[in-house]
This record gives sequence, C-alpha cells and structure tokens, in this order.
Amino acid sequence: MNQDIAGKKRRIDGVDIFVFVVLTLWTLLIIVPFLNAVSISFATQKEYVDNPLMLFPSQPTFRSYEMLLNDYRIWTGFRTSFLIVLLGVPLNMLLTMVLAYGTSRGSYPGKKIIIGGILFTMLFNGGIIPLYLQMKEMGLTNHLWSVLLAGSVNVFYFVIMRSYFQSLPDSLIESARLDGAGEWRVLFHIILPLSKPIIATLTLFYLVDRWNEWYHALIFIRDSNLQPLQLVLRSIVMESSIVNNVTSAAAMENMQNFDMGVKMAAVIVTILPVMCIFPFLQKHFAQGVMVGAVKA
Amino acid sequence: MKGRTGTVKKKDSVFREIWKNKAVYMIMLPGIAWFVIFAYGPMSGLQLAFKEYSAKLGIWGSPWCGLENFTYVFRDPSFLRSVGTTLWINAGRLLFQFPVPILLALLFNELRLKRYKKVVQTVLTFPQFLSWVIVASIVINILSYDGLVNSIIAAFGGETINFMGSARMFQPLLYITEGWKSAGWGAIIYMAAISGIDVDQYEAADLDGASRLQKIFRITIPNILPTISVMFVLQMGNLMSGGFDQVFNLSNPAVKDVSEILDMYIYNISFGSTPDFGFSTAVSLFRSVVNCAFLVLADRGAKALGGSGLFA
Repeated sequence: MNQDIAGKKRRIDGVDIFVFVVLTLWTLLIIVPFLNAVSISFATQKEYVDNPLMLFPSQPTFRSYEMLLNDYRIWTGFRTSFLIVLLGVPLNMLLTMVLAYGTSRGSYPGKKIIIGGILFTMLFNGGIIPLYLQMKEMGLTNHLWSVLLAGSVNVFYFVIMRSYFQSLPDSLIESARLDGAGEWRVLFHIILPLSKPIIATLTLFYLVDRWNEWYHALIFIRDSNLQPLQLVLRSIVMESSIVNNVTSAAAMENMQNFDMGVKMAAVIVTILPVMCIFPFLQKHFAQGVMVGAVKA
Repeated sequence: MKGRTGTVKKKDSVFREIWKNKAVYMIMLPGIAWFVIFAYGPMSGLQLAFKEYSAKLGIWGSPWCGLENFTYVFRDPSFLRSVGTTLWINAGRLLFQFPVPILLALLFNELRLKRYKKVVQTVLTFPQFLSWVIVASIVINILSYDGLVNSIIAAFGGETINFMGSARMFQPLLYITEGWKSAGWGAIIYMAAISGIDVDQYEAADLDGASRLQKIFRITIPNILPTISVMFVLQMGNLMSGGFDQVFNLSNPAVKDVSEILDMYIYNISFGSTPDFGFSTAVSLFRSVVNCAFLVLADRGAKALGGSGLFA
C-alpha cells in the first residue's frame, strides 16, 4: 500500500501479466503475417509445399523477385505511383496550405462562407458517380490528372494545418506587413519556416495516401499503362489466386514459376517505401494524435 | 486586415473590404477553385438522381424525370438487400470493432515496461499506413488453402478451412482484419485522452486503497467517455458506408451474398456492363443523405445524453 502511494516499484501483479501476454500475442499476430510473406517471397516452390510452417527459408532465392521484375506491369506501376506521389503531394500541400493560411487569420467578407463551405464537404458529398461523370465530361478520365485532382485536399489535414497557423503569434506577421510584405511573402517567409513540424507531418501523411492510391485510379483509369502500383499488385494477387484455387499443390509443383512467391514479392515491394518513411512518420505522432483525433 | 471604421456606409465598406483584402482571396484562389470544381461540381451532379442521364446531353442537359429513379431504386430487391447487409455489417462493427481501440488503449496504459511499450506500439500502428490492397493480399496469403493458418490447423490434425470463400466467415473476417489494420492507430486518440487525466485522481484513489481494476473502471473509463462519444458519433456518420476499400479487396464471388454492401452495390451498378447513372446517383444520394442524417442525429443524441458531440 505504502509503496503504491510512493508510486515507485510496485510488485508485478496479475494485471501486469495479463497485459503483457495479450499485447505480446497481438504484436506477434501482426509480425508473423509479414514474416510469412517475406519468407515465402524468398522461398522456393518446393520448400513452400514441403514445409508451410517455415518462418525462414533454408535456401533463400531471389527467383520470385526476378520473375516479378520481369513483369512489365510492375514497372508501369512504379512509374505511375511515383508520378502520382511526385505531382500529387506538392499539389496537396499547396492547396491545403493556401486555404489554411487564408482562413487562419484576419477578417474579410466571405471568410465564414469559405470555411463553412470547406467543412461542409466532410458532412456531405456528391459521391463517386457525379465525380466520375464530371471527370469524363472534362476529358480527364484515362489521364493521371483525374487521380491527382480527385483527392487534392483532405479536409481533416486542412483543419489541422489551419489550427496550427492560428496558434502562431500575430505580432510577427503584423511586423512583416508593416515592412510591406505581401501575402505570399508572409506565407512563405514567416509562416512556413515556423510551421516545419506540421508541414513535415502532413507531407508524410499525404505521401502515404498518394502511395496507397488505388480507388480513384480503379474508377477513372482504364489504360493499362497508367495503373498505379497498388492496382498492379491487386491484379497480380487476384489473377493468380484463381489459378491457385483450381490447381492442387502437386500440380503447382510442376509449374515453372512459384505463384505465391511472386505474389508475396509484389506485396513486399509495395510495402517497402511505406516502411522506409514510417520511422519519420512516427516522429511526428504528436501531431498525428490530432490527425487521429479528426481522421479516425 | 482589421480596419473597421464603422462610419462608412455598409455596402460601400463591403466592397472596400474585399478590395483591401484582395491579396488574401488571390492566395486562396487555387484552393477555392479546387473546392468549387471538384467538391461542389459533383454535388451539383447529384441532380442526376432526378434525371434520366444521357451521355450525349451531359449532366446539365439530361431531361428531368422527377422521382422515377427513386421508385425504381426502392423496388430493386438487390438494393434493399444491400442496405440490409450494410446495416448488419455496421451493427457488427459497432459491437465488435468499435471497442477494440479503447481496450487496446487501456492495455497500453497498464503496460509498465516503457521500452517494450514503444516497440509494441510501433508494430501495432504500422499496418494503418498500408492500403487495403496490401492488407488483403497478406490476409489472403495466410488464410489460403495451403497458407500459414491452415497449415497450423493441419499440423494439429484439424480440418482445413476455406476462410476466404465461406459466407459464415466473412463478417468476423472483416472485424478481425479491421482490428489488425487500424486498432493500433485508433488507440492513439484514446491514449491521448488518458494522458490528459489529472494524476491527482489516481493518487486519491491510491489513498483509498483502490485496486488497479477499480481505477480503470472508476477513473480512466469515465474520463475518456467524451472522446468515446465523439468517436461514436463519427462512426454513426458511416452507417450507410461500411468500408468499401476493405470489402472490395477481401470479398470474392463466393461470398457475394454477404458482402454486397451499399457501396459495393453502387460500384457494381455504376461500373458494370450497362450502367444507368441516374439510377446509381439516386442510390448514392440516398446513401449520403442517410449518413449525414445519422451523423447529425447521433451528435444530437450524444449531447442530449451529456456526452460530447462534434459541432459546438
């Protein structure tokens, strides 16, 4: 009892053990499927069939990756996804920033209408069909622009950036104005240097969103040369899974390429970029809490 | 920016204010233009719900047909079935999926090994940043006929299960994979709420000799109720949606009967063989209106019960 009050070392009790066991199992439940995917991608067909429980292949091979990289679709996928990220994220940031800046300070006619108009789209939207028909009438379907323009502003991110801008001190901006700085100057030379954490956070979030883009591409883009990586992955996994259902394991052994291996190699290749930026994302989880607060 | 002399005539001053702030409008112009074209443009396209769409005449030129589309919609058995499926799946989501991040946050809060906590949290948050295409691929792999789970079952002498192709398994599969993907991320918001609780409350409870479980139920949970209530309201705003990304990627023809939620139905009728865009826009409008109504209703309800809502 007394130790409890002091808040120092408490004895390990039932709650501790329960919490530890549950969380450890949960963690394993997430790690094992990834490990399994990695090991299958490096395994040979024979080993996969002989020993499906393996977590590490005994004779790792790059054969599945070779097969995958020989598939031209994966390269179109990479090219398209890189283009979407490269063009999409700056577009996201620019549009979100100007709106967040313009609505964060001062008072001018129509400010409330603009803010209300932006927030209203969270509550209610036209849905995918009018958007599709509009893209079609604008001649944007089958162009990358349809995907880039479909998700250009995330209202949640706008709200976060706006509240960050609002928290900056007015005095700095006022004094810049007295020196004759215009709006663009104030935004780029005063506000943005002070907002590095939020810029970094939202850039990373937009980056992941763009990398994971597949829905709009599914609907707007029919051209097989413009499929983003996610959709390429989808077709690789789906198409061979049909084969997988009809052929027995024995029959599969005779096939030249190891389907499951190629599929998992495709999964790993698609995950890798997200994994690379995840540590940076994590650094910004403090802001992420806010993103979570409004996004979830 | 804040010049308001008050002596100037009102109409005159509005124009003057606009002129004076022209730079602000100019800087926002790209953003506003985007919203007008790509958010409000499609909203005006909702008029198709009351029109007979013809590709030649376009959205604005197509002839009006009153509520005809809606009478067809409400007579369509597959529409009614998809509404039922959506509600059924979402009821399950509220019951089995909504509490998971809360429980996880409580578990995290009770984990006293600081470093281990960080590792666990990192692992559990990661899947949130993967698309459903990736998650579905991983899930299909481990649940496939000769995948990890069935191999384990076989190793213990059990009978292998066709997880992906079983209608009975589909709903649990949705809840489990959703928890797998996003519970770790979802817990962050509740953990933030927990960390905001005044330490004094726990100290007072310690003095009274309260057990850890008592502290969880008497202090932690009551204190995060406002957050829970906000999240609940948000969830209600998705009552007619039900996670297109997830269902689209996890479903297959074998589970069509239990997986055709409203969003899937809209997708199938809009981008299938013979689309009738007036009809599908009517369905889509119905969906948006119901979602919006439930969000507002849940918000009112939460406030009436003393919880926190979304709109101040």
